[in-house]
Amino acid sequence: MNDEIRIGVFVCDCGSNIAGVVNVPEVVEYAKGLEHVVLADEGRWSCSVDYLSKMQDLIRDHGLNRVVIASCTPRTHEPLFKKTVNQAGLNPYLLEFVSIREQVSWVHMREKEVATQKAKDLVRMGVAKAALLEEGDEIRLPVKTDSLIIGGGMAGMTAALNIGDQGFNAFLVEKSAVLGGILNDLETVSHDHHEASAKEVAARTASRVLSHPKIRVFTESEIESVEGYIGNYKVSVKHRAAEAKESLDISTIVVATGMKEMAPEGLFGYGKDPRVVTQRELEGLIRNWKADSGDVRLPESIQPIRNAVIINCVNSKNEKRGCCSIGCHISVKNAVALKQLGKGIDVHILYRDLSLVKEEGISLEKAKRLGVKFLRFPDDRYPEVTFTGDLLEVDLFDLLIGKEFRIPADLVVLTPAFEGDRTVDHLRGQLKVSANSDRFFQEAHVKLGPLEFPTDGIALAGCAKAPMMLKESMEAGAGAAMRVSIPMKQGHIEAEGIVADIDLSDCNQCGLCHKRCPFSAIKVDGEKNPHVIKALCKGCGLCSADCPKECISIVHYTDDQVYAQIDSALMENPENKIVGFVCHWCALGGVDMAGVSRLQYPANARLIRVMCSARVSMKMILRAFDRKAAGVLVAGCEFPTCHYITGNYAAESRVRRTKKKLEKAGVDPERLWNVWCSAADGPKFARTMKDMVKDLKLEGKGEGKARSSKLEVQS
Amino acid sequence: MNDSILIIGGGIAGINCALNASRYGTKVYLVDDTPSIGGMMARLDKTFPTNDCSICIEAPQMYEVDNQENIEILTNTELKKVKTKPGGFEVRLVKKPLYVDEEKCTGCRACVDACPVSLADEMDGKIGGKRKLISMAFPQAVPNLVFVDSRCRSGEMRSAGACIGGCAVDCSQCRECPIALCVKACEKEGKKAITLWQAPKHMTLEVKSIVVATGIRDAAPAGDLLGYGLYGNVITGMEFERLMNAGGPTAGEIIRPWDRKHAKKIAWIQCAGRGLAQGKGVPYCSKICCMIATKQTIITKEHDPSVNATVFYNDLKAYGKGFWEFYRKAKENGVNYVRGRPYQVQEDPQSRNLIIRYEDLETGTLKFEEVELLVLSTGVVPNNRNARLAKVLDIELDHLGFFKEKDPLCAPLETTVEGIYLCGGATGPIDIAESVVQACAAGMKAVSRG
Repeated sequence: MNDEIRIGVFVCDCGSNIAGVVNVPEVVEYAKGLEHVVLADEGRWSCSVDYLSKMQDLIRDHGLNRVVIASCTPRTHEPLFKKTVNQAGLNPYLLEFVSIREQVSWVHMREKEVATQKAKDLVRMGVAKAALLEEGDEIRLPVKTDSLIIGGGMAGMTAALNIGDQGFNAFLVEKSAVLGGILNDLETVSHDHHEASAKEVAARTASRVLSHPKIRVFTESEIESVEGYIGNYKVSVKHRAAEAKESLDISTIVVATGMKEMAPEGLFGYGKDPRVVTQRELEGLIRNWKADSGDVRLPESIQPIRNAVIINCVNSKNEKRGCCSIGCHISVKNAVALKQLGKGIDVHILYRDLSLVKEEGISLEKAKRLGVKFLRFPDDRYPEVTFTGDLLEVDLFDLLIGKEFRIPADLVVLTPAFEGDRTVDHLRGQLKVSANSDRFFQEAHVKLGPLEFPTDGIALAGCAKAPMMLKESMEAGAGAAMRVSIPMKQGHIEAEGIVADIDLSDCNQCGLCHKRCPFSAIKVDGEKNPHVIKALCKGCGLCSADCPKECISIVHYTDDQVYAQIDSALMENPENKIVGFVCHWCALGGVDMAGVSRLQYPANARLIRVMCSARVSMKMILRAFDRKAAGVLVAGCEFPTCHYITGNYAAESRVRRTKKKLEKAGVDPERLWNVWCSAADGPKFARTMKDMVKDLKLEGKGEGKARSSKLEVQS
Repeated sequence: MNDSILIIGGGIAGINCALNASRYGTKVYLVDDTPSIGGMMARLDKTFPTNDCSICIEAPQMYEVDNQENIEILTNTELKKVKTKPGGFEVRLVKKPLYVDEEKCTGCRACVDACPVSLADEMDGKIGGKRKLISMAFPQAVPNLVFVDSRCRSGEMRSAGACIGGCAVDCSQCRECPIALCVKACEKEGKKAITLWQAPKHMTLEVKSIVVATGIRDAAPAGDLLGYGLYGNVITGMEFERLMNAGGPTAGEIIRPWDRKHAKKIAWIQCAGRGLAQGKGVPYCSKICCMIATKQTIITKEHDPSVNATVFYNDLKAYGKGFWEFYRKAKENGVNYVRGRPYQVQEDPQSRNLIIRYEDLETGTLKFEEVELLVLSTGVVPNNRNARLAKVLDIELDHLGFFKEKDPLCAPLETTVEGIYLCGGATGPIDIAESVVQACAAGMKAVSRG
């Protein structure tokens, strides 16, 4: 790159949206006078096709090597301008975006001079940062086409088939001797009006898996170790009986370890009396009873069963765990099956809430038609099973009738909670992912990342996440296959150039960065030196802000670049100014929303964008106070949302620590503010600005007045 | 047949299906019959059970859809005809006019400010939501464009105060309108993006597979269900969601529609209308309403802990991971859950409060409760366009109006037509996470066909 820094500043009018408030020609003239700026231009509509091509001509004609765009908001328009400068031959990371519509003209509509001054300040800050910008590159990490699937139940098999059908290699590891998972224990599976033999469904799928040319199955095998990262895993698979080990080169992993019934030991006499069974055990019994046309009786009993009592919500919906999700469905299905044996068995279902969705309501009606009786017990008063000699009786208080009942029973069926497989205890350590106390894995994002872990390249399918129905499990299997197939089809994963970079010369090998990275993107080598796997790094900057030796920099958000913005913001009248650090995702979304809604607030703040509030280091905050800022604001996503999982929590604790430090240094800690603002919450951001200005006694300090209420934009 | 796919519906399911397929390397046409993608989720305030802000997590995905080079977004577009071909489909679509040049409009909204007519918004009308005759679907709309109400284009809004009121010429006779204030405002901005002469645009595409992701709607209360049609302070769950939303018509103030006072005593009625005669209510459990109401009570308490919140319910549906804990959190925050069946709602004509008469299921006694604002959880229903679409695609609906899977136990999300797949609310009541799972699964099937 040319050594001389040549910055071009493009200021947009946005028709009258910016130019109607901000004196754009004045801002352009001001920009021309800034250091390194060789060109400043006003565009009526900078995002229009004709202006974009003009911009490209100007970049080429003037040999620009840095570009500052002052216009709307980077949240919507940064990709467009990045592409534009890139097409003009400039690295897209040499672009700095300054928001003078959402942050200036739309929110300071009645104070044209103040708005123009703020626009100048923001442009100056942008230029100061731009001078320090360095090229960045999209980072690619090669990914081959070998996928490991852990668990041979329906979710795992579905994933394997979907992966294999694309021509990728699937290695399916199952700890038991046969494929099929929990279905092997069940008699039937059902959904809406459809019902099928569980064994047949499992066997049919297993035979497809076993005969698939691209799928290799390891039964009676477990994962011994997993090392590496996406595209580059070394996995050791151990055959249990043969003690044989095999090492596999793996690119992606699907975790489908399934679930099992939690044994309700000690509850309702389970484990003591053979007449108390679980739903899974009942399905085995029903299978035998169906095959045998004789009396329906328990093994080693001569007594035919006349009265079956099903108790739902055993070990669930309490302090320890929630709803088992599928128990109501199972209880109704099996109650119907007992009735359909045609032996005149009396069936009672004792329940707390009947949780049957849409078409499941039809099976409920069917059960009622067949004579299954439903009794509801209170949440805090479970039924009791009494054993008097040969007699088994269930006492309960029926909530709906308000009476106590005693039901005779020769079979008590418990609908227990579920838990994840025991191998999860090892696996979560091997894969460095988390699981809850019931051994169910924690997905990357409850809403939008249900099929994966935070670590790239590892997908999550089926009941390993939470109990679910067969249909849902198969959907998750196919969906998880999609998640891991994307990098395998592309042949690589690609990360944005905003990544961490560690300078090992100052590193004291403390290991904090490795421990704190939410994406497992920092690995530690034999000498305890940390290394960033750049393709896995999401650029949040948490490691950088926390590094005690300050040896981690974040491309496009380096310490020096942020310091330059702080210094530039506070160049004039710092005692009237607030430096605000806002995260790109939600806080800036809130800022933009305030703009779109034309909420008017005082103009004292100069905002500095960071990808995540976790990027804001103590030093940055102290720097602003050192430069005499009236106040500092750190704004991030509203809890629990964070686009980097827990960055805002880290930021919150850092702000707390910084306040203590400020106090010691004799700076009023109340001058440091913290706000968590959703992207929809423009009012909250505007309110924060007003409150800060009031609290810091900046009202009428030349940077715009605190005025209330919305401007009547519709008039 | 070429390697592209068509996704019908730009809600969270369609968006995720599109993003996955395009990252896989497949060309995607994402069709939505409204002017913006985003669907239901874009209107929500928070999502259960984590209370993540809805638009905060959805908007980045919407922008990504917009920026993916191999996704073509076709908004305001409907399917007209689908012909099955070997290994794929020939699809005829029509894009209804927005009366705005998509290349030129920058979403600056100068025209919206100029338009003199505000009408009650389709979604937020009861709680005071207004919409201009030229407007944007919502602030984060993708594509970020305005559109002209077609009734205004045809001249029907003159009596409502449209700016062309005095003009003697029948609107159908004019190609352009030199007097319309929106047109003038746009010209003043130097854009000329309002194109009132726009005609429906017909397109033909060839795709190898089709994913139906038409979503769900909240059920409208039938007639005067529990006072809805009669009293101003009875609203639906979705309307309450919009009240809570900082981006909604009240900027997040939980105020009652009648007098715009902050409601201090609020009740939710679950399963409102369920089990009534056909056409009066949803006949099935909609699965998600219990958690929606629970979320709303928690957020309400966050806004103002002194609000008294009561939920009347029958069976609590806390079906997913963390949902039961979510319900417990609501209870710990002081929300009253009453197992009860409300059967009548009356308004106090002076205070405009609502008196709810209900049967307490735990005691069997009849009781009443007076509240300032009443929220009806009416459940969710299929998209009303499903029937027409099923005909066009030659696939089946179930008796409730959701799309039918060929065999949910062996081939979930597949229809009777090979190459047409389903995901999200098209299959039934569903939450966001489940929609995303299905979107990935349907995407897998769609891209790997053939």
